[in-house]
Amino acid sequence: MSPYLLFFRNTGPDAYRQLSPEDSQRLITQWNEWFESLVAQGKAVEGQPLEPETRLVSGAGGSRVVDGPFPEAKEAIGGYVLLMVEGWDEAVAIAQRHPALAYGMKIEVRQLTPGCHLGVTTRPRRG
Amino acid sequence: MADADPIRSKPPELVEHFFRHEAGRLHAVLVRLLGVQHLSLAEDIVQEALLRALRAWSMGGIPPNPAAWITQVAKNLARDALRHGRMAASKEPALITEAELRSPGPPAGADGSDAIADDTLRLMFVCCHPAVAADAQVILALKILCGFSVAEIARAFLSSEAAIERQLSRTKQRIREAGIAFDLPRAEALPERLDGVQAALYLLFNEGHKASAGDRLLREDLCREAIRLASLLAAHPVGDTPRSHALLALMLLTAGRFPARVDAQGGLLRLEQQDRSKWDRALIGRGLAELGAAARGRELSEYHLQAGIAALHCTASDFASTDWPRILRHYDQLAALKASPIVALNRSVAVAHVHGPRAGLDAIAQIADRRRLEDNYLLHAVAGELHWRLGENPAAAEHFRRALQLAQVGPEQAYLAQQLERIDAK
Repeated sequence: MSPYLLFFRNTGPDAYRQLSPEDSQRLITQWNEWFESLVAQGKAVEGQPLEPETRLVSGAGGSRVVDGPFPEAKEAIGGYVLLMVEGWDEAVAIAQRHPALAYGMKIEVRQLTPGCHLGVTTRPRRG
Repeated sequence: MADADPIRSKPPELVEHFFRHEAGRLHAVLVRLLGVQHLSLAEDIVQEALLRALRAWSMGGIPPNPAAWITQVAKNLARDALRHGRMAASKEPALITEAELRSPGPPAGADGSDAIADDTLRLMFVCCHPAVAADAQVILALKILCGFSVAEIARAFLSSEAAIERQLSRTKQRIREAGIAFDLPRAEALPERLDGVQAALYLLFNEGHKASAGDRLLREDLCREAIRLASLLAAHPVGDTPRSHALLALMLLTAGRFPARVDAQGGLLRLEQQDRSKWDRALIGRGLAELGAAARGRELSEYHLQAGIAALHCTASDFASTDWPRILRHYDQLAALKASPIVALNRSVAVAHVHGPRAGLDAIAQIADRRRLEDNYLLHAVAGELHWRLGENPAAAEHFRRALQLAQVGPEQAYLAQQLERIDAK
């Protein structure tokens, strides 16, 4: 079993503004069912939405701090789910079943690796 | 990463139509805080609050008290809107106070539900104000009180979203211009205003019930919403009149028979073909209780008579034991109270059951204003049926063919085509 992260993009308010209250409720319900069933099978370790508010820190000594959200908000990460699955195929298949894809959401699938190529100390979560 | 167990016990689920009904409730709360002239701003805020809930509650995170959560978000957004001067152009003093905004959402108890009922009722009186045309009242009520989207309203009325949008913005402008207050009407104005609200709810129910066009499931939702609002009205001290109870009784006694209206293929069933065991006995029981409550006092309104007719159908154990003479007497009274070609047409059906098909056809021939019904498929469907019972097949076929041309909905057309086949088979 390996850890994968799903990043949800293009999931800001504009993507859902046209939904009726009924549709919104249906989407929440389906979204929760998607997540809950992964939790029940032990495949989702955790997941949370992210607030859009952003600080971008850069420059030596962190001299540059820029406040977000940024104009290209569509590409901002709106939430993540940490999966513990067999491999790429399973992670992608799980992402493919996400109900919000129908409303333009994009999911980036990334594998977590135990070692950092720079040799920085890492502390993987114990599954 | 957090060590705390991120996986809680199964989160609460949202009850059916939670968002739709929350939208209606939040509109009422926000219009109280912001003023009637800021109806559109209130709508924007509610929309934003629902989006935030969607964002925060996805992935298994519905809070224990979702109604309080979403109310607080909406109030915070209202405060932000005030701060950013979105209301600066208004000459009205801001009715909203920091204290009010900071107070938590209405508690989910008896106290809170009273406040909610007050606000919703006030909004009902705004939406159904005499300054607004009857059709516009229904559409505004669906949008503001019942949380329907423009797309859903357009689907239910077989209209375009652009047309509904235009009508809504005209209606809101009309409300702003008329300076309608977010108040319960004063005693002297109450009877007339109450009539207006009842008429709008009646229209809303009929829009859902007549099934002449549009998405069937959505239209049943219209009926459910009409029942919800009429229940609220009848239970509130301001709306607790015999007429309100009669209106609610009429809705319940009609809706109680919905489950038997169509067969498994979606085909329409006549009253005599319906499986009465499919009727919703709980709704019918509530309807009969409401009819009892409506009998207080001496008033006999058109709602009383229509509910009385519906009750006679509901309490007959089978079609053959229907008390047609009493139904006919109710129709006679109804025609005297509020004459209309449709009432007269329905009366002629009762006449036919009491005095025979020939008398029914005579009653149809005597309908004043009959010309207004010539383009209504029902007139021809009824006339066709009565001719058929008399064995006058050519006349029956002619009427059924005319009815088939006029009917707009699939199930009604299928039903009429079936009647024509029945004649041809002879």
